[in-house]
Amino acid sequence: MLKNTLLFSLLALSLTGCVGLNTVSMTQVPAQRNNVITTSSASWNFIGINFSNAFVDEAVDKLKGQCPTGKIEGVYTKHQTTGYVLMFKREVIVSAYCNEV
Amino acid sequence: MPIKLKSILGLSFLLMGGCSQLHHVHIGDIDQSQGTLTPFTIQVNELGFDLAKTAEIGAEVAKSSSTSEDLELVAFILAISNFGPKTGNPVYNDAYAAKVLAEVIKVCPSKKLTGLTSVREATNVGPVSGEVVSIKGYCINNNQTNNI
Repeated sequence: MLKNTLLFSLLALSLTGCVGLNTVSMTQVPAQRNNVITTSSASWNFIGINFSNAFVDEAVDKLKGQCPTGKIEGVYTKHQTTGYVLMFKREVIVSAYCNEV
Repeated sequence: MPIKLKSILGLSFLLMGGCSQLHHVHIGDIDQSQGTLTPFTIQVNELGFDLAKTAEIGAEVAKSSSTSEDLELVAFILAISNFGPKTGNPVYNDAYAAKVLAEVIKVCPSKKLTGLTSVREATNVGPVSGEVVSIKGYCINNNQTNNI
């Protein structure tokens, strides 16, 4: 009986969705779309306890670093949370176009 | 469990709950072609308060069982009254974020802004929270264009 319960629990766990999409945003998309840049930053926590949201700044800095003298346009920002067992990964995934002027 | 230990554990969880919650992120276009960038941060916040959670805590720590039951009922009524989609705890001022635009314009003397990142976040301590709106961005210094 216990074996069945465990197996059923494992099956149920495998069917459970584990990613929550928090927010999505996009800015004006430029006509010139040759140079795509992408970056992401994440923050792990235990049972949802966080003390800082500074990982967002990290994503912005990484994005700036990939286009140091150009214009970063068409910025697509996705904020999502992935749940593991008792652990959660908050993530900001960004893609954009870098256009040199 | 002895009542003292229960209270200490409850208080610890309340303080542990003092956590930062990220609700929304929006990263805007960043123009690094017109000159050097000076970062700035604007932050406004408002006190958020979850009355239902407060009543729940009251029910937990109430000494008499009748008071505890009454508070549980109050918590239930408050919870169903405020049921629905919401971001963070309710606040008492719906215009607290309205001043960010004026602040952003004021902070940048060159009037050229870029890389605006809007963040909606909250810091929770039990039933009380700081409901925060942060705007981070850059002022474009016209050094490069002035030199040309």
